[in-house]
Amino acid sequence: MFELEATADMLRMSTQATAPAETAPTETRVEVALVTAALAGDRDCFGRLYAMYAPMVHGILLARVPRGEVEDLVQDIFLHVYKKLNTLRDYAAFGPWIAMIARNRAMDFHRRTKETVEVTEDLRSTDTSTAKAKEILDLICDLPEAYRETLVLRLVEGMTGPEIAERTGLTPASVRVNLHRGMKQLREKLGYTEAV
Amino acid sequence: MNEEYLWDKSGEPDPEIKQLEDVLGTLRYQPRPLQLPELTNEKRKKGYLPWLAIAAALLVALFAGVVWLKLQSGGLKQNQEAVAPKSVQSPKSKVTPSTTSTPEEVVPENKIVQNNAFALHQRKDFVAINRSRQARTPAVQTVPSKEALLAKEQLLSALRLASEKLNFAQRKVQGPAGNPIRNQHKIG
Repeated sequence: MFELEATADMLRMSTQATAPAETAPTETRVEVALVTAALAGDRDCFGRLYAMYAPMVHGILLARVPRGEVEDLVQDIFLHVYKKLNTLRDYAAFGPWIAMIARNRAMDFHRRTKETVEVTEDLRSTDTSTAKAKEILDLICDLPEAYRETLVLRLVEGMTGPEIAERTGLTPASVRVNLHRGMKQLREKLGYTEAV
Repeated sequence: MNEEYLWDKSGEPDPEIKQLEDVLGTLRYQPRPLQLPELTNEKRKKGYLPWLAIAAALLVALFAGVVWLKLQSGGLKQNQEAVAPKSVQSPKSKVTPSTTSTPEEVVPENKIVQNNAFALHQRKDFVAINRSRQARTPAVQTVPSKEALLAKEQLLSALRLASEKLNFAQRKVQGPAGNPIRNQHKIG
């Protein structure tokens, strides 16, 4: 019952959330221009695309693969994207395209590598804040995939809900629902009491 | 929990979310320069080569076809010229040279051939012919000239070459492996 009410609230809120997304066409036009220039051989424009989307790709990977592998995978993905940019049909869909590549690459990573336990970094880390961050990240990584990715993009990469929706190609409504439900589950895991 | 702050960081900051942001912010992406390989641009340029090869192969094939057709039509004309005087030899045609002929009376060769065939058909003493056997053999035996044979050989080698080029270009276009990103347009 509570879930239903919460969903209804979320959907009501998502209608309000469409307002910030109205500014999206400008950003989309920038993307289209950047992709076009990059395809014409302008490396600086591709550098701008990299600067715009690297945090998103980093967040998507952080929610799926071990932290030590993320940096290299981000570079690999952008190199792959640079080579395959001419296969992109809709330039305005650059964000969703690269997000999908990142998700697929994370799946490939798990397919290729054997199950290992990452302990070395945790044992060596003396910084308590980093250790706590990793602990919370592990909790987030135990959440369902949809919540996990959205929460990492919001809490780790510092992106807002509309930005997540714009960059990943998800609808603002689903991002909002994912954020709300994911945060609720994370709070339960962290042992926070629900403030009424 | 402040929903608006969670959504777009607007309104009063939620202390729990703020704390989580501060802690998890240490894992945030640290910008690193991207080293783009020099080869990539060359590769992109190379992408046009197979298409150029295909276009060139098609042009060669087209040119060869035109040449062959021209030579064939030339050979056929020569053959017709060679055959036509023989077929005109009939009893009536032998008589016509003796009579005075005006320029208006000059009839085209093919018409003469038709008339002669009709005249032969009309003759009473004409020997019966097995029509089915006659139909099997071509009316005009075209003997290919040396030039036509040479042209045919040239065309066949040109077509073989074009086919090889097309195959090569196709292999280049298809590449060694397929595209690993199959569902790139699925969103969400």
